Amino acid sequence: MILFNDISQTVLFILCVGLLISTLEYLKKVEIFSPNGLLSWNVMQLKWTKQDQKSLLKPFFKLFSASGLTVLFIIRCLLIAGLFFFPLQSTTGWLLISLLGASLLVASLATYYGSDGSDQMSMLIIITLILCNLPVLSSSKLRDIGLWFIALQACLSYTVAGIAKLVSSEWRSGTAIKDVFSTKTYGSKKATLFLKKYPAANRFLCWNVIIMESIFPLCLFLPWEFALVFLIWGFIFHFFTAVIMGLNSFFWAFMATYPAIYFVNHQMSWHLF
Amino acid sequence: MCPLFSNLFEIMIPKLDPTVIYEIVVIVFLACWFIATVLCQFRETKISWFIRYKIDLFNLIPLWTFFAPHPGKRDYHLLFRDKITETDYSEWQEMEITEERTFWSWLWNPEKRDKKILSDVVQSLVSSIPSFREKTGNLNLLMFSTPYIIVLHAVSQCKKRSQNCYRQFMLAESSGYQKETKPALILLSVFHQI
Repeated sequence: MILFNDISQTVLFILCVGLLISTLEYLKKVEIFSPNGLLSWNVMQLKWTKQDQKSLLKPFFKLFSASGLTVLFIIRCLLIAGLFFFPLQSTTGWLLISLLGASLLVASLATYYGSDGSDQMSMLIIITLILCNLPVLSSSKLRDIGLWFIALQACLSYTVAGIAKLVSSEWRSGTAIKDVFSTKTYGSKKATLFLKKYPAANRFLCWNVIIMESIFPLCLFLPWEFALVFLIWGFIFHFFTAVIMGLNSFFWAFMATYPAIYFVNHQMSWHLF
Repeated sequence: MCPLFSNLFEIMIPKLDPTVIYEIVVIVFLACWFIATVLCQFRETKISWFIRYKIDLFNLIPLWTFFAPHPGKRDYHLLFRDKITETDYSEWQEMEITEERTFWSWLWNPEKRDKKILSDVVQSLVSSIPSFREKTGNLNLLMFSTPYIIVLHAVSQCKKRSQNCYRQFMLAESSGYQKETKPALILLSVFHQI
């Protein structure tokens, strides 16, 4: 029986929704791993040139075909489905999440190109949950430390993104969002037309993202009612990047870190004011 | 052991049962992971290079600088053509990768993978061009790089005109919905027998 009063369980639940969508998307596009595909293993294995790497990867060579990866992705979907029923802290739940983590690690060798920050955040959360919830050996203190790690990594991600934008002249001048939105890869025609019509919106959006991302870690130190402002901003930000830019997997991967941020905020013995 | 020392040990070092040992190992691992992540952001240093290319086999160290400092402002296009005779070439054909998104892309967007793969491959190619120029004075060795081979492999799988076909590919960039900027050439390959 799954209880959502457990923060780690809530983190896992949100992440699993995103991972299920992402895995089904890979299943839909599994032909990219076929001999004719962009990520054909015939070619991708050239990336691993050293003999020790090749011998390490040899057991997985059959797995990296389109059919092998189809099986892997189907198994992954079943593991995720299982995690909706078995609690993380049960032995079965831990075994399911460990197998899920293993499948993500193995597949990452074949998806070197094409994976993004949301895949890395998902992997980071899964590995942390596996390590911090090992039956028998892990304590409640270790589970708390795992949540701290997830929250700190989330804050680091926003701050690094904010600072990197702050040092960029394209972001400071307020043209970056218009330029990104005008691409077919990450933009949309409607958003481009809107930003062309209202140029002031460009500058506002650029600076809004720069400031909020840079000071995001404040959400750990502010009283909860103020910290909530950052999480609501994050929710809206990721929702719109999903709608306008098609970055749907980022939404789930980053929303999964928010319960950990809530936990750390409530664990703080002092707040800024 | 002297009882005094034994007591001292017990006071100074908590009882090392498996739970405590495991806790220490995990804490050290997570701390190293966090420090490695911090070190690998922004400018590439010797340490960050070592972590990223020598240790991080599974791509576990993220780079959190999304769309900065240089936001992706271009769509990439992959085109190819065949040599029919020494003077006669087929029309350029584009591999359909930059498809427009659907209404449901905010929830379900499998097409993003193809675009991201091509974008990663092109960026990897583009970033390696200066070092190839610097080392050899030309781009001949670029043909042996993984991203080049990935692109060549992808275009070589498209329908051929004849059994012994010579194919050339072109990587180009455009500015999407902004029509003010003209499409530009990134790389034009030689003809490869496929």
